[in-house]
Amino acid sequence: MAAIHMENLTKTYDGKITALNGLSLDIPQGGIFGFLGPNGAGKTTTVKLLTGLLKPTKGTCTVFDMSPMERPCDVHRICGVMTETARMYGQMTGRQNLQFFAQAAGMDRQEGDQRADELLKSLDLWDARDRKLSEYSTGMAQRLSLARSLVHRPRVLFLDEPTSGLDPESAQTVNAMILSLARNAGVTVFLCTHQLRYAQDLCDAYGILERGNLLAAGDLPTLCKSIGCRITAEFRLAQGQAPKGFQKAGEWWRTEVRSDEEMPGLVRKLIDSGHDLYEARLVRPTLEDVYFQYTQRREVEQ
Amino acid sequence: MKLLTLPEQAVVKKDFGEIWSTKMVRNTMILVPVIMAVFLPVLYVAIICFVPSDQINGADQMLKLLPKEAAGYTLQQSMFYVMTNMICPMFFLMIPLMSSSVSAACSFVGEKERSTIETLLLTPMSLKSIFKAKVFGCIFLSAICTAISFVAFSIVISVGDILLQMPFFLNWNWLILIFLLAPAITVFGVVFMVLVSGKSKSYMESIQTSGYIVLPLILLFVGQFTGLFQLNALFLLLAAAVVIAADLLLWLFAARLFTPEKLLK
Repeated sequence: MAAIHMENLTKTYDGKITALNGLSLDIPQGGIFGFLGPNGAGKTTTVKLLTGLLKPTKGTCTVFDMSPMERPCDVHRICGVMTETARMYGQMTGRQNLQFFAQAAGMDRQEGDQRADELLKSLDLWDARDRKLSEYSTGMAQRLSLARSLVHRPRVLFLDEPTSGLDPESAQTVNAMILSLARNAGVTVFLCTHQLRYAQDLCDAYGILERGNLLAAGDLPTLCKSIGCRITAEFRLAQGQAPKGFQKAGEWWRTEVRSDEEMPGLVRKLIDSGHDLYEARLVRPTLEDVYFQYTQRREVEQ
Repeated sequence: MKLLTLPEQAVVKKDFGEIWSTKMVRNTMILVPVIMAVFLPVLYVAIICFVPSDQINGADQMLKLLPKEAAGYTLQQSMFYVMTNMICPMFFLMIPLMSSSVSAACSFVGEKERSTIETLLLTPMSLKSIFKAKVFGCIFLSAICTAISFVAFSIVISVGDILLQMPFFLNWNWLILIFLLAPAITVFGVVFMVLVSGKSKSYMESIQTSGYIVLPLILLFVGQFTGLFQLNALFLLLAAAVVIAADLLLWLFAARLFTPEKLLK
């Protein structure tokens, strides 16, 4: 059973603006799914549809086989949501905020207090627990928001730009927590971001969204394969040497290869043909390369 | 069976804190009762007791409105009767109306304005449960405010009764007003504000809109002094019935409009 299932999911605002256009996607349980796209691509709309805050214009979606439209409370019971627009109470302290959301999730006072303290400690907010949220820095408020989304121990976590505005140390704490939840607790993480390098470090699979359309979905090797992004073998040779069939990129000569296995043969060929080889490396396509290939192809098609 | 579940109680408690920490709401909830239930009645008692009756403007016209049961009162006693039974009820009704609408504005529109309503809607609480907790919280707070105001008002008027040697002021009019009309108006103030909350973008805008619901009270005030009608137990009972019917209709309507799509618009 897929943790998240979307079929032809469409959302139109006022019948004019199409925020999401026929999105069909299955996300398996466990792991971190990166939902990539620029601002306005429809990522937040997708999260709002999956959590029942918006009604789809067309199509269906389920979270662990439960429709957010028909059973919003049950979906909220197993989902934690952290978005930029879902804020917490400024006049309450960090601890009071978590205690309130724990009680709103049905925990009794004692259990809620314990859970709040546990999260405050694990997200480095313990020292600021009795400060009002309005006095928190952006990074602290962001971490508290993550703590709030985890307060009821969700099975699915929807995160919208969880590290935007965070300093490197805070971002590291947040990332460590997300990884630990996915790897150790089996939580399915649906991570919306436009930071591609960040997504590559964290995610197992990706979906590329642009203007409400899903361009591609899958893990990095699958995405590379379907768009034709290949590994390149690069060589630094003695000055003035120009091997045949290679392209020059700065002081490197490069060529595309199908797999790692081609590398020893290429090295041998260059040496045998009398080239002085100083350095050799395999460069794999990054998520950024793949992402821009897809968006460029889309532009060409349009 | 508990009136409110644990999560609902948490929402009520949170709303109390939020309403109280909003300076403007807190000031309104303190100042309106102090002015309507203490300051104005004290001022009237002082004027009646210490200013010679022939120097009070329009006293003769006011006395013409006196009902039969006030026959035989002295001029001062008659003036006090008019104040207690015709002027003060209108002033007093402003308290549940203002406290309920202002607290509902803070609870519903304020939450929307501060973008915290989305977070609340993402909790496992049902929409019905959130709506119920928020409405009950505002009604409860307004009821406390009205009850305290009535105690203070009773003390002031009792002092006037003693000074002017009149019977205790509490009559059928006041009993209907306190136990039927004031609670009905409290509910009206809250549900009206919930309806307005869907369209208001800011808390201040909703407070301005709430000004319209004071109009019927002003009309009542003006109406009885023009001799159009007189505030008696039957009239108040009828008014309470009308407001209760309006409450039921508005409640159903407001609950229907309380949806994530409308709230997050």
